[in-house]
Amino acid sequence: MTLSKLSLRNARRQARDYLVYFAAMVMAAALLYSFNGLMFSREILTLSKMMAQMPMLIVMVSIAVVCVFGWLASYSTGFILSCRSRELGTYLLIGLENKQVARLFFQENLMVGGCALVLGLLSGNLLFQAMRAVVFALFGQAYHFSFAFSFPAAGLTAVYFVLIYLLALGRSRRRIRKTQIYDLIYFEKKNENAVIGSGRSRKGIFAVSIALGIAGALLMMAGDLSLGMVGAGLLVVFLYGFFLSFASGIPAFFDRHPAGKYKKHRLLVFRMLTAKVATMGVLMATLSMIFTGTLISEGAGLVFRGLFVGRSAEKTCFDLYIGGSKGGIHKEYLDYIEGNIPIDRCRQYTVYESQDTRLIDYVNVKEAYLDYGYGGDPVIGYSDYAALRALAGYEAAEPAQGKYFIHCMSYLEAAFRGYDEELILGGATLSPGGIYTEHFLQRYGEGNGHEFILVVPDEAAKACTVHHHAYAAKTLAPVGEEIYDGLCAIRDEAEVRTGDYDAVYSKAAEEAQAASGTATAVFPLYFLALALTVTAATILTIQQLAESGRYKRQFALLHRLGMDVGEMKRALWHWSAIYYAMPAVPALLVGVPVLLNLARTPEPGVMVGWSSPAAVAGIAAGLFFLIYGVYILLAYTSLIRNVLPEEKDTP
Amino acid sequence: MLQVKNIEKYYGSKNNVTKALDRVSFDVADGEFIAIMGASGSGKTTLLNCISTIDRVSAGDILLDGESIADIPAGRLAKFRRERLGFVFQDFNLLDTLTLEENIGLALALNHEDPKAVTRKVGEMAAKLGIEGILGKFPYQVSGGQKQRAAVARAMVAGQSLLLADEPTGALDSRASKNLLEIMTRMNESAGATVLMVTHDTYSASYAGRVLFLKDGRIFNELLRGDRGRGIFYHEILDVLAAMGGDVSDVI
Repeated sequence: MTLSKLSLRNARRQARDYLVYFAAMVMAAALLYSFNGLMFSREILTLSKMMAQMPMLIVMVSIAVVCVFGWLASYSTGFILSCRSRELGTYLLIGLENKQVARLFFQENLMVGGCALVLGLLSGNLLFQAMRAVVFALFGQAYHFSFAFSFPAAGLTAVYFVLIYLLALGRSRRRIRKTQIYDLIYFEKKNENAVIGSGRSRKGIFAVSIALGIAGALLMMAGDLSLGMVGAGLLVVFLYGFFLSFASGIPAFFDRHPAGKYKKHRLLVFRMLTAKVATMGVLMATLSMIFTGTLISEGAGLVFRGLFVGRSAEKTCFDLYIGGSKGGIHKEYLDYIEGNIPIDRCRQYTVYESQDTRLIDYVNVKEAYLDYGYGGDPVIGYSDYAALRALAGYEAAEPAQGKYFIHCMSYLEAAFRGYDEELILGGATLSPGGIYTEHFLQRYGEGNGHEFILVVPDEAAKACTVHHHAYAAKTLAPVGEEIYDGLCAIRDEAEVRTGDYDAVYSKAAEEAQAASGTATAVFPLYFLALALTVTAATILTIQQLAESGRYKRQFALLHRLGMDVGEMKRALWHWSAIYYAMPAVPALLVGVPVLLNLARTPEPGVMVGWSSPAAVAGIAAGLFFLIYGVYILLAYTSLIRNVLPEEKDTP
Repeated sequence: MLQVKNIEKYYGSKNNVTKALDRVSFDVADGEFIAIMGASGSGKTTLLNCISTIDRVSAGDILLDGESIADIPAGRLAKFRRERLGFVFQDFNLLDTLTLEENIGLALALNHEDPKAVTRKVGEMAAKLGIEGILGKFPYQVSGGQKQRAAVARAMVAGQSLLLADEPTGALDSRASKNLLEIMTRMNESAGATVLMVTHDTYSASYAGRVLFLKDGRIFNELLRGDRGRGIFYHEILDVLAAMGGDVSDVI
């Protein structure tokens, strides 16, 4: 048999024995191809001019993803090398040279990588179609399936894969070339001897790390950036300290409470765990860090999405809006609109400010409110308000004599519900008449008020000072980016001329901007999150399933000693649950406070509903556990199948 | 205590049947130390597996304290094994991730013993076997003899009534073998443990009170030690082995 044939046979066996790793590499190729596909797709890049930024962001994230997958491949090939050390040692024993064995290992891994690449490109095309559908949906465009294989995307994926494998296999190759027969043949024995160790220093580290973990979590939740950074640092120290000392910390606990370990199958679970964690403390801490990165990536994606959608929703209540100055709306705008935009209905109106800041002061105390420098409370006349509601497609507000309404952003509603003071405007005394909270272009003080506006009878409004004039329209066709750019050019010229900066918003342009933001910022973050989850979960699963043979022997003995198969299943389930929870729980403890703080960063009123901080943390954790759960379930069922003795109890 | 009644065991399919046990019958009295000898392939381990409920007989019956093990429902077999049977294997079969104390305590934990009593019972049993000083060590940190003593302790700590030993000295040097056999004898004599030991080592068998010789799945001979010294019994065993036609070197 030639070395090539032996490599081929070994490659087949490796793909079968380490199916989880092989599947992860297929997924890696699929992910890389699908994102490269987005990057090279002209139809996607031309959806909006802002999409031009996407290739650069994808390339930047791809570099990080290649490093992550490179680490996965490097770790996995190193692990496979360790598991097969006896076999490789035997090749040396029968007379093969180190470089021949290194070449053998190199070739078989290249074959596995090549197969993963081909399968990944094929499945990646389907993934690309799914992502293409999502992008089209974001832009509100109809999706039609069209199978097209992108050669540039495939080429770039192949380049990434070569980098991943060269990085991984270079290390294994050097290791084999330098190694001695003895080291390979007796590798398992050395590993076993290193499994369990105990020392006072480890116990000390365990106690200190727990204390640092608690302190770090508290600092993270303090809500202060610098304290949070110190907290994050402490949590990193906690992760490594905890996992490095866990294998001796827990036995130390049971040394003090010996009876505790004999309850149910606790002894088995805890020893399986400490034996495993003792050899992978640094790895566990690193995986925990990766999971933290995953949660933060997913959560940051949700925060960005929430931010884009939240801001866009407020700005897109009118098809077209121009916020001018006190002097009025420039004629150039109106001429341009007349020549380029088919208008259904429109309204030119005035936003006023009252003599005092009574409501601003009130709401400033009640809420985290952003003050944009109005000299008085913002005011609009009822007839303008009614016209604007009609333009936005809202139900008409009931006019009521002697009343005033408040139209505010929804986050201020609760605060204004407690306001029941009368208003005196233009000699009229007005009592509270109700609150409306639909989107009404109230952000940043450049639209209809700033976060809120008082709606009063027209006569009362006219008695107030003019704040600015505005124009809103319902158009017969969306005001696309090109026409919107024309309006922006007029705005820029006017700014040069007058020094005033007008607010110009087009619903279609804003929506395209939100969709582009999502595609360029959120997609790469999820790309990274997926790569991190797949990598960490694969390594955990490989580590667990590699012990199947050893567990099988153990459970066969336990069966003989009289342990019920049902009890074995429970023990294995508890062991799997704790094993997979170990890196995930610290990640949750670190990631959730970070996300809660991150989601509170944008201006108030944006992160609401599904984008509220709690929802962001919950959805990010849910998404993470959804993927992670699939791995746990697959690993557990595989473990049950491989490890438990067959039930042939009836003699 | 144990009655083996005319048991037969076949392996293989219709056209290729191997008879591992052929009408084997014998009784083991309470507190007896009995050895089963035979060359490789004679059916020793099959017999032990059938008695230990790991394997099923093709015909015949095995009774433990008058109860047929064939009548024990599948759901109770595991309980039966952990409460009634103790096992000692050639390769110790200790769990390498557990300390010796935990390996011994495991038998009690599987029996749902009160966790507070486990440490005390393990300590008492370890003292009897002379391993109380190494209970905190892991199997890879102790010698083969110490491992096997821990295995004996595990096999008896839960009060199991029948100790089944499969080549218990097979992986030990002569000194450790002697030590272990003396301990097993002492447990048999002082603690009243019933011992059924499968071995092909004449020296080990000479510690038993009775030796059954298996050949081609059948009981070829039976030898009682009676009041004779161990040395004489050893030579008598050798004589039977010679008469069985095996090479003496096979069984020493």
